Amino acid sequence: MKRRTFLHVLGGSAAAVALRKPLWAAANSPAASDDFFIFIHAAGGWDVTLWSDPRNERRGLVEPASSENTDTAPLTHWKGTKLDGDVDTFEILAPRDVPMRFGPGIGALYDLRSRLTVVNGLAMATVSHPDGTAFSATGRHLQGGRAPASSVDVAIANELGTSQLLPDVAVQFPSSYVGDHLDRRAVPLRVANAATVAKSLARGEAYFDPSDRTAITALVTAEAHALAKRSTFPETYERIASQTGAVQQLLDDKLEAAFTQKALQERYPQFDYKAKNFGGAALGAAFTVEAMQRNLVRCVGFAIGGFDTHNQNYKQQAHTQQELFGVVATLVDLLDRTPHPTRQGKKLADHAHILVFSDFCRTPQINLSGGRDHYPNNSALVISPRFVAGRTFGKTDVEQVLPADAGVAFAGGARPLAPPDLLATFLHAFDIDPARYLRDGEVVQEMLA
Amino acid sequence: MKRENYRQGASDAKTPAESGSGPILFFWRLGVPGALAVTLVFGCAAPAALAPSAPAPLPPPMVAAIDTTPKERRRMMPPEVYLRAYLGWFGGLAPLDVQAKARGKNMFDSWDDYLAALGLPDYKVDLPRQSQSNTLMIATLGRLGEALCVRAAEHDLHGKTPAAARVVFAFQPVAAPDDAQFAERFDVLHRLFLGYPVRLAPSDRAAHFFALYRAVAAQHAGKKGPLTPDETAWAAVCTALVQHPEAELY
Repeated sequence: MKRRTFLHVLGGSAAAVALRKPLWAAANSPAASDDFFIFIHAAGGWDVTLWSDPRNERRGLVEPASSENTDTAPLTHWKGTKLDGDVDTFEILAPRDVPMRFGPGIGALYDLRSRLTVVNGLAMATVSHPDGTAFSATGRHLQGGRAPASSVDVAIANELGTSQLLPDVAVQFPSSYVGDHLDRRAVPLRVANAATVAKSLARGEAYFDPSDRTAITALVTAEAHALAKRSTFPETYERIASQTGAVQQLLDDKLEAAFTQKALQERYPQFDYKAKNFGGAALGAAFTVEAMQRNLVRCVGFAIGGFDTHNQNYKQQAHTQQELFGVVATLVDLLDRTPHPTRQGKKLADHAHILVFSDFCRTPQINLSGGRDHYPNNSALVISPRFVAGRTFGKTDVEQVLPADAGVAFAGGARPLAPPDLLATFLHAFDIDPARYLRDGEVVQEMLA
Repeated sequence: MKRENYRQGASDAKTPAESGSGPILFFWRLGVPGALAVTLVFGCAAPAALAPSAPAPLPPPMVAAIDTTPKERRRMMPPEVYLRAYLGWFGGLAPLDVQAKARGKNMFDSWDDYLAALGLPDYKVDLPRQSQSNTLMIATLGRLGEALCVRAAEHDLHGKTPAAARVVFAFQPVAAPDDAQFAERFDVLHRLFLGYPVRLAPSDRAAHFFALYRAVAAQHAGKKGPLTPDETAWAAVCTALVQHPEAELY
């Protein structure tokens, strides 16, 4: 082979390697390019024995929820059964139409059971809030207090969301953007409250007209483009230009009026905005529906707190779960009724995918303060047309509520499921190569529809 | 034994007159006055002539090549640095002063509303610092910049503040400035916000900003507002400069 020919071949191979990502994206993105993704973090660590992995008898370490340690009055799905003397526990909800079992915390989501995919027995290997949260969202444990990998919402925004004005909005959701190989447009917009989006976009009308702002933004954008042409590293200036341009589009569309707290509450009265733990989350859910039906976002994540019940506040754990799943059920109901912005005749729910997870679960035994502490097991919930619905995957040890062999043919042999497996499966469901974002985890084909 | 040798050696020592010859013996025989006389005679004699020679070329200097090309892309400043610059530009304000100054007429609210949106950590809700700029951050900084520029125009221009007490617009404004008048005043703002004179910037920058000035002034001509058309136009120039990519990156 001549030297010149060899160099041509070598250059072509190098270019193919360098272009791997765009080629991959181009090959796969159409499949889910107008789908929407909702990520919900139940912050604090939920008690899985109250909803996904119900226990109602004393066995091994397990001390079940009972009328002694749980406030049963507000629970819509608590049906008492004798535990010991005058003490009642709950009857496990075992519907005939799907092979699933639920505790009373499932609340309104019980009616949507045929659309749920529950994953039990997730091995967390941690009982630290930040670590468990990062592990659930990124598939990696913290390193030096920092997330060493991007979270699942960023991965999806990077693959499928860069054409959106707001690819990834994170309302107290533990998003992390790590690495230089990602598109900068996938940087999550992390805010403390959904209403902040409206506030940031609000502009006073007393001094400048909208046309003044258009002129200002056009000038700043043109300056950024001009500087990019002169710069050794133009991408930073181009990013500023794209972000400034996106701001202008958001301002032009007068979106601040649609995203104020008042506007969202009036448009979506179905949510309980005055709920003790869920006022902010309800606003986040309302923002989610509004932003999706306007086709502004690809991913929205929000957090719901109140699950860290180490003492007497455990009495409210089941009620808190009921409220959480009530928000999810209302969200699904709204998605069922809202038309998809780009697919004629389709509803948002046909192309919306929800993943709900927590830091970890709580101990099977009740502590001396009447609560439950942290425990390295977990469950997760998926509501997605791409997943097998009405099924529970993974399992736990009967006496200890610890993760047990999931019965999946993993490459390394039998083992429990872990968050990286769930995240890998979630990414794979949308034709995204998990290896680009996850170090660990195997795709569980059985979960996919 | 050693000591005996040492003593014997000392007793055997001879004076130069006894032992030596040559110049030492010569001076020894002359004595001190004679030696001084000889030294003076030869010391005051005419110097020996040196033959001139061509200077040898200096060795070439060592050249150490310094690579001044940028090695890393520009980055967003940490939010604290950026906000500190903001506060400095508008008169060394404390954060709460800014909040008090910028509020009203839907220009700004309170810092608490924007901590995470600006990239700062929000410990109240356990949100960490953000490492990348995003659209919402640019929007929030734009909102704050607009509020501060408008307030500065109110103070410096509309309030007829003496030139020495002006904070941002430290020049004498003229109504409907021409190219040269605008460029002279724009240079003041350019130095303040971007840190260098406008003559070092790309040559068309002043013209682009003058176009913005004229567009905004024309838009507000004949309208009744809190600022005159020229003041509004200067506030617009300030708002564009404070959001300029060179002000946001380092």
